[in-house]
Amino acid sequence: MSTVLAIAGTELRRFLRDRSNIFFALILPLLLVLMIGLQFGEDASARRALVVGTESPLRADLITGLQEADVRVAVRDRESALEQLARGRADIVLVVDDEAAAAYGSGDVGVEAVLGSQATAPLVQRQVTSVLSGLQTREGQVTALTSRGVDRALAEATLDDVTASSSAPTLVVRNLDEREQQFSGMGQFDFGASGQLLLFTFLSSLTGAATLIQARRLGVVSRTLAAPVSAFQLIAGQVLGRFAIAFFQGAYIMAASSLLFGVDWGDLSASLVVLLMFSLVSAGAAMVVGSLLDSEGAAAGVGIGLGLVLAALGGSMSPLEFFPETMRAVANLTPHAWAYEAFADILRRGAGLGDVLSELGVLAGMAIALILLGSWLLRRSVARAM
Amino acid sequence: MSQPAAVRSAPDVLVVDGVVRRFGDLTAVDGVSFHIAPGETYGLLGPNGAGKTTTISIIAGLLAADAGEVTVAGERMGPQAVAPKRHIGLVPQDLAIYPELSARENLAFFGRLQGMRGSALSDRVAEVLELLGLSDRAKGPTKEFSGGMKRRLNIGIGLLHHPRLLILDEPTVGVDPQSRNAILESVEALSVEGMAVLYTTHYMEEAERLCDRIGIIDSGTLQAEGTRDDLLRLTAEADTVRLSGSAIGPEVSAALRALPHVERVDAGPHELTLLVHDAPARVAEVVTTASAAGMALTGVEISRPDLESVFLHLTGRALRD
Repeated sequence: MSTVLAIAGTELRRFLRDRSNIFFALILPLLLVLMIGLQFGEDASARRALVVGTESPLRADLITGLQEADVRVAVRDRESALEQLARGRADIVLVVDDEAAAAYGSGDVGVEAVLGSQATAPLVQRQVTSVLSGLQTREGQVTALTSRGVDRALAEATLDDVTASSSAPTLVVRNLDEREQQFSGMGQFDFGASGQLLLFTFLSSLTGAATLIQARRLGVVSRTLAAPVSAFQLIAGQVLGRFAIAFFQGAYIMAASSLLFGVDWGDLSASLVVLLMFSLVSAGAAMVVGSLLDSEGAAAGVGIGLGLVLAALGGSMSPLEFFPETMRAVANLTPHAWAYEAFADILRRGAGLGDVLSELGVLAGMAIALILLGSWLLRRSVARAM
Repeated sequence: MSQPAAVRSAPDVLVVDGVVRRFGDLTAVDGVSFHIAPGETYGLLGPNGAGKTTTISIIAGLLAADAGEVTVAGERMGPQAVAPKRHIGLVPQDLAIYPELSARENLAFFGRLQGMRGSALSDRVAEVLELLGLSDRAKGPTKEFSGGMKRRLNIGIGLLHHPRLLILDEPTVGVDPQSRNAILESVEALSVEGMAVLYTTHYMEEAERLCDRIGIIDSGTLQAEGTRDDLLRLTAEADTVRLSGSAIGPEVSAALRALPHVERVDAGPHELTLLVHDAPARVAEVVTTASAAGMALTGVEISRPDLESVFLHLTGRALRD
């Protein structure tokens, strides 16, 4: 066993020793998780309002009201606010000028609004109208009380007590949109993290197959067999080495995305088992590429090409839920699609190990087939080289 | 180099007995037999493609023999035999080292494959690095090493586990003269320590310098073996004459072969190599004959009988790269 571990450990060390992997295996996946998260995450559907004007009770009450309605609010100068609106970074600009601020104390509530072209802008406009309407009602109530001799502070406190003691009606919203149901429970970076994990775990394994070709070409594999090492130990060491590279890559993305982007990997033990199975599939594929090809350059080309195509087909770049039915069927030929489904269940729907057994079974079958084929090809290539 | 009496009386470390290996219709090794005693350096001398590397691969258990038997330290060797491989240190012709790893890491890796562990391994790695003169470069990646340094490390890996038989397959190919000399000195030191060494080369001067006994191999067959003096006696004291020049047609070779004191003629693209008895007295006749047959001569060289003469005598061909 120690011989097998020595071979596997050396393969992992060679992978980590390659300086280009610092970028391609450690930095690039996280950059892509970040970019995909920013593009497709919850930030895209956030409602944003920009408020212009000097500090005043109207501005303060308007901001508080919008924030209570889950609208993100920021204060900007007029020019900057309009520029942000034009760039699509806000839904609405609200101008609270001095005249509107002065009129607020007399029960007259109104602001100038500039609406953006975002799909969420009309919704934000309705929320602004609702908030302003609420402020106007309250101002009217305060004015009515003060006109009957009640002190303004007492009038406001009384209205606050009334508001606090009354319970708002409960509204239950049931989502009937199937696609939205599939993505419910998904965090901003979850899709990017699981997709990039699958993409890079497979990609790093396949491109790492070049080191196996190099070892064969340099005669290190033959030299290993000239030591008291059986062919089985050599092959087991190489398989374990490829697996270690794949699992390291996946576990790194899992840990880093959790720490940096707060990705919740759900039932961690279930997620790790999915990664383990997918890493075995990746190791088997790397054995096949590394034993079948005789040139490191060809292996890198095939590795990148195959890795990207399978990732695209398997839902690592665009969610499988967006695929038409035929493409969905094709996707099931890739290990990525099965691992994607397993991660989707675990991350979005709170599934545990028992819920993803069918996906794990398919991945295990693929891993066994590829490892057996890769081992046979390696044995054949070593014999051919002597 | 003569063989010490103590060496001759010890049981052989390596016995190769009638080994045959075929690749399709080609018989790469055809009935090769020889043996090596502890402390003895045996040279396998032959041109490229003679069957040296195939013979070594069979001895190291990398290839199966179609017939015959190899025994290392009394244990039968073959691709499935793991235990006898502990007795062998193989230094392949290729630089079989990991370029991304340091010299220390390479040595440690191959040491672990030999079953070495812990302080015994780390102490031995440090010792071999010192022996190779690589202690100050032990931590750097070997891809930054010079060719000579890589060659030395390649040899060091073979020595690491104190093998009883060290197999060196053309270890000086592509090495600068300084490193080459260092390698040859290392090999000389090994036989003094009692290690049996099998050394393949196509450089006759290396075989003459290092080897107690030499086997001359060509076309997969061991043509002759013995000490240098034994082999030289086979040529019946014929000298080697080299005629360099151009227009070396078949008529030139034929005319020279017709001379009574010329034993062998081998034609290369720019050189003719002849075995000539009493060459100093006959060289004028040889030169005249070659010129008359149309050869444009640019140089003549006469050398006393050496392993090159022996090879030419046995095979009818010069020992070239």
